[in-house]
Amino acid sequence: MWGQPMSAYDAFNAHASFPLPMRSAPKAQPVSHTQQPVVTGTSVLGLKFKGGVMLAADNLASYGSLARFRDIQRLHPLGSHCVMAVAGDMADFQWLKRDLGSILREEEALSLTDNHPSLSAANIYNYLSIIFYNRRSKGDPVWNTVLVGGWDEAKKESFLGYVDLLGTTYSSPTLATGYGAHIAQPLLREAFEAKAGLDGKGELPTAEEAEKLLDDCMKVLFYRDARSLNKYQIATITAEGVKISDSKSAKTEWGFAEGLRGYGAQDR
Amino acid sequence: MNAIIQNLSTPSHLPTTEEDELKGYGNLDEMGRIKGMQIPRVPDPTAFLNLYTDSMSSNPEAKIKLAHGTTTLAFRFKGGIIVAVDSRATAGSYIASGTVKKVIEINPYLLGTMAGGAADCQYWETYLGMRCRLYELRNKERISVAAASKILSNIVYGYKGRGLSMGTMICGWDKTGPALFYVDSEGQRLKGDLFSVGSGSTFAYGVLDQGYSYDLSDEEAQELGRRSIIAAGHRDAFSGNTCNLYHVRENGWEFIGNYDVSQQWYEYEAKKKAAREAASSEMAVEV
Amino acid sequence: MTLLAQSPMSLHDTYAAPVEHRFNPYSENGGTILAIAGADFSVIAGDTRQSEGYSIQTRYARKVFQLTDNAVLATNGFAADGKNFVRRLKQSLEWYQHNHHKQMGLKAIARLIQTMLYGRRFFPYYVYNILGGIEEDGSGAVYSFDPVGSYEREACRAAGAAQALVQPFLDNQIYFKNQQPEPGAEPFVPGRLPLSTVLGLVVDSFTSATERHIEVGDGIEIFIVMAKGRSPESLLDEKLGEGMTIEEVPPVGEGGEERTFLLSGPLKRD
Repeated sequence: MWGQPMSAYDAFNAHASFPLPMRSAPKAQPVSHTQQPVVTGTSVLGLKFKGGVMLAADNLASYGSLARFRDIQRLHPLGSHCVMAVAGDMADFQWLKRDLGSILREEEALSLTDNHPSLSAANIYNYLSIIFYNRRSKGDPVWNTVLVGGWDEAKKESFLGYVDLLGTTYSSPTLATGYGAHIAQPLLREAFEAKAGLDGKGELPTAEEAEKLLDDCMKVLFYRDARSLNKYQIATITAEGVKISDSKSAKTEWGFAEGLRGYGAQDR
Repeated sequence: MNAIIQNLSTPSHLPTTEEDELKGYGNLDEMGRIKGMQIPRVPDPTAFLNLYTDSMSSNPEAKIKLAHGTTTLAFRFKGGIIVAVDSRATAGSYIASGTVKKVIEINPYLLGTMAGGAADCQYWETYLGMRCRLYELRNKERISVAAASKILSNIVYGYKGRGLSMGTMICGWDKTGPALFYVDSEGQRLKGDLFSVGSGSTFAYGVLDQGYSYDLSDEEAQELGRRSIIAAGHRDAFSGNTCNLYHVRENGWEFIGNYDVSQQWYEYEAKKKAAREAASSEMAVEV
Repeated sequence: MTLLAQSPMSLHDTYAAPVEHRFNPYSENGGTILAIAGADFSVIAGDTRQSEGYSIQTRYARKVFQLTDNAVLATNGFAADGKNFVRRLKQSLEWYQHNHHKQMGLKAIARLIQTMLYGRRFFPYYVYNILGGIEEDGSGAVYSFDPVGSYEREACRAAGAAQALVQPFLDNQIYFKNQQPEPGAEPFVPGRLPLSTVLGLVVDSFTSATERHIEVGDGIEIFIVMAKGRSPESLLDEKLGEGMTIEEVPPVGEGGEERTFLLSGPLKRD
């Protein structure tokens, strides 16, 4: 203050570094989270095609090795042009649906009242990845692996992203989680690259080709993934919006099993 | 007018968040901790740290390798203090760097050495520099080496058992003359005339002890420090590359030089050989 | 007698809670980064493969990021930590720009990175950072960091999966380690190589690492930061490798006289 002497304390102690502060009291014991996935869903797949993106997930929610719930939808629409496909803990999936639902409703309301842009798939994906990373940093992970597919009407391009319980994120024109990453991803990449080229800049697969490819992959997964079910759905996201198919089954062929030898006790 | 003055003067009741802001230095809080220093939310944070980092050297298999392994030494003599260190940082068996500055220039009168966790030493000794500067501003005189080393020791003692790893020597010249303190992350603080710290310290002590005397000349003292580091760098796998040599005198420290360990070692060997040959030829003449 | 021999503990074992596998908050996502400083430029590069174990997660994930008009950061290690670290860092830099009406200088960014990393000393970011750019005196610089913030200015540094393959090559070519100048020739001085030579070394480092390391490949991104007054013509005239493209990266702020370019190209995908 002008005309008045400044207190020596204020003038030379701008950082309040004197007197030396005491250590604060120890914090309460850290929270311990005992968690592990209980009811789980197996791999999910995602694929970009000409004019949109497709996701696939079967309808099974397993309880350990028990095929516990056989009619669970693991594809969940988020707004008008976005879908998430969820593997991992189904309880956390339900929590995610609820959490995202409230955000989406809030944003939807805002976008109605003024010219607030509605959330794009990329925005939702970003939000999800922050939730996942923050929860893993608290030592209390959201025990899921999620694929987010969407269509960006402003950019006229499709979106496909991956996020898991560690907060790890990445994008690619073909994606698969869990067993799918080992069994389906090579098939998806092979077919995608055959059409679109190694750089992915060529013509993308058509919707029909994409669906056929996902059907094939779901079948192959059903053959080898013991936690899968031959009843699955495919979500298609295009400029028109989201379409989630009814549950369907792949046509399987088990005749070859007759001739198999070498898996344990047999007569011959 | 009053309103203007009111606006310009420091408001006496800042919101609590801003009040907190004012207490620290930059993004540091009043204790020098970074605001919101995150501790993993697990029952035993120290066990967590040991599981994923090799910070306590007890888990060499850990994924996160922190820079380790060292030879550092410092000793007091009539001409001041000699500080000599190597420059190697190892992560497991990989030499992460051969150009590490293990002498931390706290201010023109104070040096700190780095052994143990590189980040722990670098960070806390930098912070010590800030604390020493504040001491100078408040008290209009330089801080004593004893006080400076005690600030550091008190800080790391506050983190005892949390997994910090540092063994450092705080060297300087104050009113009492040359002063040397050893401070480590266990909270130990020792005043002394001669210290060596790190995996190569035993090798350095071997050379140091046989050549040390308080009455060494400047040149003799510098050579002893250098020779000790070269010996340790040669024999200890976790030390080596180069030797950095500093001399602390009444008017502050001086950087003497950087010496390649291998090159220097073979120069010493060549000198020894030449001396031997000279001696044997003398013998021959006598016979 | 046999009943007594049974340890009482084993009776309780049946009722013990299921073994809790502690959640591991870290992963490792492969890849390699490197940076080399020149007299008036700095080159910061990384491959674009992201992997976990033997699976390639994506063939294109960025790990080199423009921070300011004269600073570029490469991150390697656990991708989620890397991404979030960069996000926090960029936010700090933006606040700094709003507060001070200028961009943060390179060595200040280096110190900021140290404090941010050390802030997580007890729950580290599993990230190896290499910062490259132009110092306030106009010289090219490289700073390298360990996961908890110890750092050092260097002429060159490689980090990540193929660090042990690339760094020795750089030591030999940049620091002239284990090389003897021709009798009577000038002694070697590190940090004075021309840009074209440095770019050649960077590309060779990555193609070679791709050959010998399974976690390296797919693509390469090389950021080149040029000090003011340096003509970018030499760069644009450069004969680029096969499939390589070059573009200028627009400035983050108002744009000083430093300019940043991005040279990108393919690496083997197997």
